[in-house]
Amino acid sequence: MKYLAKDDSKCIQCGTCESICSKTYYKEDNYEKSCIVVKKDGKPEINVCNQCGECIDICPVIAIKRDKQGIVRINKKICVGCFMCVGFCPQLSMRQHDDYIEPFKCIACGLCAKECPTGAIYIAERSDDEAKEMNLDQVFNR
Amino acid sequence: MDIKRIKEGHKLLAEYKYELGTIERGYTNRTLYVNISDNTIASKAVTPMMKEKFVGGKGFGLWYLWNATTPSTKWDDPENEIVIAGGPACGITQYAGAGKSLVCSLSPLTDIPIDSNVGGFFGPLLKFSGWDALEIQGKAEKDVIVVIDGNKGLVTIEEAPYEAVDGHILGEQLTEMYADNEDDKRNVSVVTAGSGAEHTRMGLLNFSFYDPRRKVTRLKQAGRGGIGTVFRNKKIKALVVKFSNVKGDLNNAYDQAVINKTGIKYHREIHDLDHLQNNMRKIGTANIIEVMDEYDLLPVMNFQYGSHPDTEKIKSTVFIEKYITQGVQDGCWYGCSMSCAKAADCFKLKTGPYKGQRVTVDGPEYENAAGLGSNCGIFDPEAILELNFYCDTYGIDTISFGTATAFAMECYERGIINKEITGGLELKFGNFETAVELLHQMSRGEGFGTVVGQGVHRMKKLFVEKYGADPDFLFDIGMEQKGLEYSEYVSKESLAQQGGYGFTNKGPQHDEAWLIFMDMVNNQLPTFEDKAEALHYFPMFRTWFGLYGFCKLPWNDIVPADNKYTDEPAKVPEHVQNYLDVVYGVTGKRLSTEDMIRESERVYNFQKIFNIRMGKGLRKNDKAPYRSMGPVTKEEYESRQERYDNQLKEIGYNPEGKTTEEKIKVLREYREDQYEKLMDAVYKRRGWNSNGVPTIEYLKELGMDLPELIEVVKDLQ
Amino acid sequence: MVQIIKLNNRDFPWEEGLTIEKIMEIKRFTFPKIIVKVNGKLIEKEDYATTVVNKGDNVEIIHLLAGG
Repeated sequence: MKYLAKDDSKCIQCGTCESICSKTYYKEDNYEKSCIVVKKDGKPEINVCNQCGECIDICPVIAIKRDKQGIVRINKKICVGCFMCVGFCPQLSMRQHDDYIEPFKCIACGLCAKECPTGAIYIAERSDDEAKEMNLDQVFNR
Repeated sequence: MDIKRIKEGHKLLAEYKYELGTIERGYTNRTLYVNISDNTIASKAVTPMMKEKFVGGKGFGLWYLWNATTPSTKWDDPENEIVIAGGPACGITQYAGAGKSLVCSLSPLTDIPIDSNVGGFFGPLLKFSGWDALEIQGKAEKDVIVVIDGNKGLVTIEEAPYEAVDGHILGEQLTEMYADNEDDKRNVSVVTAGSGAEHTRMGLLNFSFYDPRRKVTRLKQAGRGGIGTVFRNKKIKALVVKFSNVKGDLNNAYDQAVINKTGIKYHREIHDLDHLQNNMRKIGTANIIEVMDEYDLLPVMNFQYGSHPDTEKIKSTVFIEKYITQGVQDGCWYGCSMSCAKAADCFKLKTGPYKGQRVTVDGPEYENAAGLGSNCGIFDPEAILELNFYCDTYGIDTISFGTATAFAMECYERGIINKEITGGLELKFGNFETAVELLHQMSRGEGFGTVVGQGVHRMKKLFVEKYGADPDFLFDIGMEQKGLEYSEYVSKESLAQQGGYGFTNKGPQHDEAWLIFMDMVNNQLPTFEDKAEALHYFPMFRTWFGLYGFCKLPWNDIVPADNKYTDEPAKVPEHVQNYLDVVYGVTGKRLSTEDMIRESERVYNFQKIFNIRMGKGLRKNDKAPYRSMGPVTKEEYESRQERYDNQLKEIGYNPEGKTTEEKIKVLREYREDQYEKLMDAVYKRRGWNSNGVPTIEYLKELGMDLPELIEVVKDLQ
Repeated sequence: MVQIIKLNNRDFPWEEGLTIEKIMEIKRFTFPKIIVKVNGKLIEKEDYATTVVNKGDNVEIIHLLAGG
């Protein structure tokens, strides 16, 4: 599966990634609307979805699914805005802003990685076996 | 029969087109009135007075019911109503447990108003379709369904002859019929009863929600008080609502951001702490089966005992490991991260009309495991699941069924009734085959099952009048009051809980107060005044959930990590504040904790006066069976002899050399006296006179001195 | 004369080496949501086994459940 990998030690907290992300998806330079978040004070810490898929099983309407590239995506048309995925993300990478009634997350588009001056974020691959979601056909014996 | 053929059998009786309208701060400001006698359908305005004094939910239900009925109205009169209302917070998707409907009607068990709360999608979808409440009156000639299409703005009453009656089939049929496709099924919710509701007084209503993972129509129950019986007596087969564009902001909240923030904080708390506390996400309320057994509170064999060695076989971990599907989102409305609506999948039925079929069983909840299991002496998880399934699909309340069956079993074992009377049924404790046969008889409308289905109150009368039973003894062991069966906790060692059951409006259930640990174990309520305070606060606090459309469980089935540092951990202050914040977010009303209690006091006292108007609601109606207060029989006393002997010593009576009968008598006199003293203290704290009647002064203070209420209480001051 | 402590404001027999864990075992306090205080001081769960209770101590073991 494709995901946005990170190396906190290379991050210089410049905020370029946040700016690119929010401008791309919400047409606004606002880090609160970015899928990737960098801690502003103290040691650099990059928080972004690693596509683990735990949120998939949390969604009450199956609005969250993994696509063919292995990216976990939200279908905002059917999302009912409960934000359980936000509360249940193991690393708090599912994002939410009160201007919208659906959450948002990194889809590993890689735009931020291209602009990162230090290479602290980059698109990488890892084994599909690391996907956390359940196989429903197995669960229900189908 | 296929769905198309079934639908072709429908005959349109009435049609009503309406403007979809708007929701403002949680209210649509309209109620849908449907009369199935003369097939009128109308829109009624929700008035500012209603919102101010009754808030919504159960408040609206009781208000409509009051106006629709008279003191002489019986449950099966056409003017009796079934009112379903969610409340202003109902339908928000960010805070756990915000999809509840409150159902009100005159009860066939108690002859007074009953209110029962239930999950499932009906309440929220009803509101999104444009209605704060649905008020149904009248009686149809032939089986009908009422369909509310919130996409088109269309209400119809249709004769529906071919649909099944049993809940699990009817729910599937109508979901299939009214959904455009598989993805649309979650936009349909169905209310059904079942075949057993037709032949008993303990019928329930199933509220459906479609589970997109299981691909099954799930059922949640408005269980208490026999509203399903009223439903079938009106010849309603089902109610259907459809609304297809659910989003997280349809309540048009005053401040959505507050709701989002509070909801996400709570989701995180569940994520972090549930597995360390109650395991609600794994097993729901059934997590306490073994806890209740450990504390001698699990009803065993008609509440004679509080624990049993075989509880091991039905403890929560047995269900988790062997039966209940794990890891699936199980909220009965969107956004419920507590996710306690558990289910056993692919469960193979061993008896009855669906024998051999594999079904999804919604449950077991604690009450089911205790009522259908231990209280009937049945310690077999598969028996509990099978009884649970048949109760739901037949539309029978598991609590009333469990408690009534346990009573009948004790009568059988004591020789008060025999095989001749039971029609050959060996009605012994632990006999699953007999218990499930009673249920099948309730469905078919035959045999001793229909006698048990009348409830404990009417069984007592029958056994005395027809079979010469001792009325005093039956009064002692028949666990009902006001006509309603007790829910499944042993209250013998907690005086406060005896009051918690005994001084309720609708009959003995734990919806108002559960004080056993605070009182018996923690000893936090040592004086009558302490107990009275708790028996004021908790019933009022818990009434409030039903005004707004909230579920009570997320309040205290988890507590924040720092709850232990707060002044009053039992109240879970942070969660109380969450509710006040969410209500502010929805309605714009900034309530204090005192305001919250006051809102409930208005509705609580309205219901109290409603009871008085119907001929109950006085001190004499709060008398409780002694089984709820102490050991009735020799066996009960001797099973806990050390405990009771010590208690006798504490009250200055030397048990040495006394017979068990003598000791029971002294203990009983003491305990009954305590109960009366508690009653005095509680009535005083609740603003009532010693006869249990709200004083006019208190009603004025509440702003509930409405002329029609004063009329009822003025001669009882 | 039996030595005692107060447990939830009721007498409870004291013995040498009595700990919170021991009390919970004797009383079969198995409920998961419990708050423990000794003489008003909060005791964390991980310290139940090592917290020794002395004669005359006031022990509160509060079960947090006000609903079912």
